[in-house]
Amino acid sequence: MQVQNRPHLLHLNSISLLQFKNYLQSDFQFRQRIVGISGKNGIGKTNLLDAIYYCCFTKSYFTKSDAQNVSDGKQGFRLEGNFHLNNTPQAVTCVLRETGKKELALNQELYVKFSDHIGKFPCIMIAPDDVQIITGGSEERRQFLDTLLSQIDHDYLLQLIHYNKVLLQRNALLKSFAESRRVDENLLQVLNEQLARPGAVLFEKRRVFLQEFIVLVRKFYQQISGENYPVHLEYISQLHSSSFKELFDSFHEKDLALQRTGGGVHRDDIAISLGNASFKAIASQGQRKSMLFALKLSAFEVLKNRNGFSPILLLDDIFEKLDETRMDNLLNWVCRENNGQIFITDTHPERIHQHLGNFNSVQFIVLS
Amino acid sequence: MQLPSVLLENAVNEFARLPGIGKKTALRLVLHLLKQDATDVQQFGAAITKMRTEIKFCRRCHNVADTDLCTICASASRKQNMICVVESLRDVIAIETTQQYNGIYHVLGGVISPLDGIGPDQLNIEPFLQRVQKEQPEEIIFALNPTIQGDTTIYYIQKKLTPAVVRITTIARGIAFGGELEYADEMTLARSLANRLPVENYVANR
Repeated sequence: MQVQNRPHLLHLNSISLLQFKNYLQSDFQFRQRIVGISGKNGIGKTNLLDAIYYCCFTKSYFTKSDAQNVSDGKQGFRLEGNFHLNNTPQAVTCVLRETGKKELALNQELYVKFSDHIGKFPCIMIAPDDVQIITGGSEERRQFLDTLLSQIDHDYLLQLIHYNKVLLQRNALLKSFAESRRVDENLLQVLNEQLARPGAVLFEKRRVFLQEFIVLVRKFYQQISGENYPVHLEYISQLHSSSFKELFDSFHEKDLALQRTGGGVHRDDIAISLGNASFKAIASQGQRKSMLFALKLSAFEVLKNRNGFSPILLLDDIFEKLDETRMDNLLNWVCRENNGQIFITDTHPERIHQHLGNFNSVQFIVLS
Repeated sequence: MQLPSVLLENAVNEFARLPGIGKKTALRLVLHLLKQDATDVQQFGAAITKMRTEIKFCRRCHNVADTDLCTICASASRKQNMICVVESLRDVIAIETTQQYNGIYHVLGGVISPLDGIGPDQLNIEPFLQRVQKEQPEEIIFALNPTIQGDTTIYYIQKKLTPAVVRITTIARGIAFGGELEYADEMTLARSLANRLPVENYVANR
């Protein structure tokens, strides 16, 4: 299938879903750059976006385990996304076998390591529950940061995987100390050093990246919200003030007592503040949404600058989230000033027509 | 599976306990044995029983042996002052197959992995430290898998060895022979670059 007028470099032409969530078997063709998807609640709008996300990230945006992505009463699922990247067709196939074994292939060639796939098909999802990134615990913000950095820096992803594996070993060791009532300081020392090496790399990469990223987020926040409040973002890490060695020393007793690791980059956070107060404590609903979009669009911008083409943008149910003016500002920015492919869902077909009607190359899909 | 004999069923169940053998394969093997002469099967069974009861583990390196000392440790042509530390018997066999190594071994019986409940006490690490103390080898080569657990084990033993031992090395890590750069993962490639070799060494050793 030839797509007309396609100056953008990454395009999803079609996707086939088999036993993925509520789709027993469906095929979708995407002929245009902007795709508006409408349908009633529970019809599968979000699931369709999630299938696209899955092809880019080898995991669901919403569910933690793959078993939850299989249609009720079925075993295994299959997704096939046919992309165009720099005018070359690229077929991504994700299969969950009946046995629970997962397979991922690019152009029929199986991946040995899924991590090699991350970042090849950059993609950003904005979903209603994402406001958790702002209101939730530090884990949400670390995950946001890790997902983004992993896409632009493959070494970051490898170091992160390494760090997490060593961390698991260290915590298991602390547990075994408690069970046997004996502490092997030598072995703990070895794992400390093994944890410090990837940890120091992660800290440095996060520090350098966030310096520029924070400036970008503030810029987007003012644009979207149209306000001039002093919004601050700050990279919080124990590593700012102590080395890994000092951290392990100071947490030594506590680690042994709690049987987990208290110091390290797995405790990092991004603090967001408004004036002198914590952002999540005093920000209004609208301000939170503006901040969410600022974070996500900054991520979009970073991926675009890094790759030289726009990532795929998945906007789930966003008309509920923003008021008319903010919405139109946002759509103008994502649809006019950028040339990436965009998928937007909404429950009302009329509303989606009304908002997207002014743009060129729009395709509407009504699910029923 | 319905079997007409309890004897048959017992035999099938025993075979099915072996790694990689399912019920059907087990049945096929048992039926094959049933077709053989009784004496042949006797021999088969005796060989396995004898193997298990009479085999020894070398008191020096923990390799398998027929006597107190394994053939490698006992060999006069082997360099007795170079010890290669490996995880398992399989690694000894793999390295022996290369015919490139002329020292002796030490088999750890595993690597340190707290997640799997394996600490230094479950492995032959303490005997190794005593052995090094006694034998004073000139070089110790770690030939462990390049994993987090392998690294943990190396660092742990190394900490206990210094400063007694002169030379501690580990096998090279990098691009596989006959491999292609573009298919190597970044970590391997980065390591290969960091630990690059002078060309004269490389060509001479090829």
